[in-house]
Amino acid sequence: MDSTKWRKLLVYSLMIFITVITVGPFLYTLFIALKSSGQGIYDGILPTDPTFTNFVYAFNQTDFLQYLWNTVIVTAIAVPFNLLFSSMAGYALARIDFKGRSIVLTIIISTMTVPFQLYMAPLFQSAGELGLRNTHVGLTILQISTAFGIYFMRQAFLNVPKDLEESAYLDGANRFQVWFNVAIPLVKPTLISLAIYTFTFTWGDYLWPLINTTESSMYTLSIGLAQMSQNFNGGNLKLISAASILTTIPSLLIFIWLQKYFISGQTDGALKG
Amino acid sequence: MSRITFSLTKKRMIKNITPWLFLLPSIVILVTFLIIPIVEAFQWSFLDYKIIAGTSEFVGFSNFKEIFSDELFWKALVNTVLYVAIVLPLNVFLPMILADLVNQKVRAVGLFRVLYYLPVVTPIVVAALMWKMLYSQDGALSNFLVGIGIIDDPINFLTNSTTALMVVAFITVWKGLGYYMIIYLANLQSIPNQLYESASIDGANSIQKFTKITMPMTVPSMTLVSVLTIINGLKVFEEIALTTNGGPAGATTTLVMYIYDKFMNLEVSIASAAGLVLLVLAIVASLLQMRLTSKREDDLRA
Repeated sequence: MDSTKWRKLLVYSLMIFITVITVGPFLYTLFIALKSSGQGIYDGILPTDPTFTNFVYAFNQTDFLQYLWNTVIVTAIAVPFNLLFSSMAGYALARIDFKGRSIVLTIIISTMTVPFQLYMAPLFQSAGELGLRNTHVGLTILQISTAFGIYFMRQAFLNVPKDLEESAYLDGANRFQVWFNVAIPLVKPTLISLAIYTFTFTWGDYLWPLINTTESSMYTLSIGLAQMSQNFNGGNLKLISAASILTTIPSLLIFIWLQKYFISGQTDGALKG
Repeated sequence: MSRITFSLTKKRMIKNITPWLFLLPSIVILVTFLIIPIVEAFQWSFLDYKIIAGTSEFVGFSNFKEIFSDELFWKALVNTVLYVAIVLPLNVFLPMILADLVNQKVRAVGLFRVLYYLPVVTPIVVAALMWKMLYSQDGALSNFLVGIGIIDDPINFLTNSTTALMVVAFITVWKGLGYYMIIYLANLQSIPNQLYESASIDGANSIQKFTKITMPMTVPSMTLVSVLTIINGLKVFEEIALTTNGGPAGATTTLVMYIYDKFMNLEVSIASAAGLVLLVLAIVASLLQMRLTSKREDDLRA
């Protein structure tokens, strides 16, 4: 073998080794979920008698479907609203010259530094006063418009050429028409990245649902899973593993579906930002 | 005449109001659910606020005095710093190596990028539960390390006070690898290829190219990754709450665990004061970022 071939072999061996680290825990969990009742949880890594019983149990013996439903609703509200509101605000901050723009932008960027844990208690109280506790809308309030989303969209709008927008104005279009028909299609990769971020965050959010939800009928998957795992050393580990795998599948599917746009959108943003 | 002036004023009014219409939904949401709660947190930290009764009394700095004289608070602060110190070097170097690997022009490289990104999109609760199983006494990691002779007897890494913080930090590193890899990848792709070509002509090998070209050229990403790691690391919660819950004996209690416990005990003023300490640390890290990367500064001024 010549040196290029050796090099390739080395690159692939390293890449496969890292894959074992990044994907290994999923497989380990999947194998535990597939183990039958006759096999101990930690009794070997591979299931000797693979069965889907634990997945069926996850649906039948827990409120998994209820948790799934809650999570789907919350995510289905959060993603479109964050895309809409963040791209509106980001557009104004990138393209329209107006008094107060730099103040608004500075405030929005500054809030990105503030840890959620600082204001979670006042937010908890406000949510109660506004009747948002134990509601689906209440679980979306951190995601329906985000400082990060606005900043991210603003950067994207700054990076697309103005020419198309200017010719649309000459044709008599107003700001809203130009934003929606001309500018939005140009930032599609960034919108998709923001959609994935928002989806991932909302689907897996833990701390806010934990404090804003007191009724088990409103639990999201994350809270439901955490509750199930309270008795972690009990016999329900296979069930928890199955539920964990099921919880992850939607995230994985959406990511794999959109990853082509996502990774390019993200690298563009990072390159130019 | 007056009609013309009227329509001109109307036009100007529409022009002035347009940007605010674009901003309106976001402003309403962010003011209600972000700005007002932040301002209230500042107020509460100087009050003795009773969240259930809704009564409050101004107490000056006594909440801060209370946390600064609380041994557990200092322990949490030290643990937070230790945790960041463990995560930081791993976050800076491992994703750089990953990015360099998936930037090679070899087949199936796109697949590996996706596989390395999977932990990022995994819900944190799931990640924590998976690693909790791997770390348990009968779990795969103990078996593996006993098998290759690094440890003599299987241990539960999460209940062992010397390993707990380290293995929890590794969950964070695992989950962030793909995210930081993408930041490095963008940076690597902006390095002109001629640099590597001329280095090859001069007879440089792969390792020399990595240390002499790749590493110096990725300094901007290193800075960004460091600051993101510090800011996110200060806020670590889920990995710990779901695995060790702060134990054993406070060995993994971090600032946010401390804040959360105070909140659950309804000591919201103490929680707010500790939250302000967290904010100060985050601001210091952010200022560092602004000083180190001039690009970010330009954005703020724009």
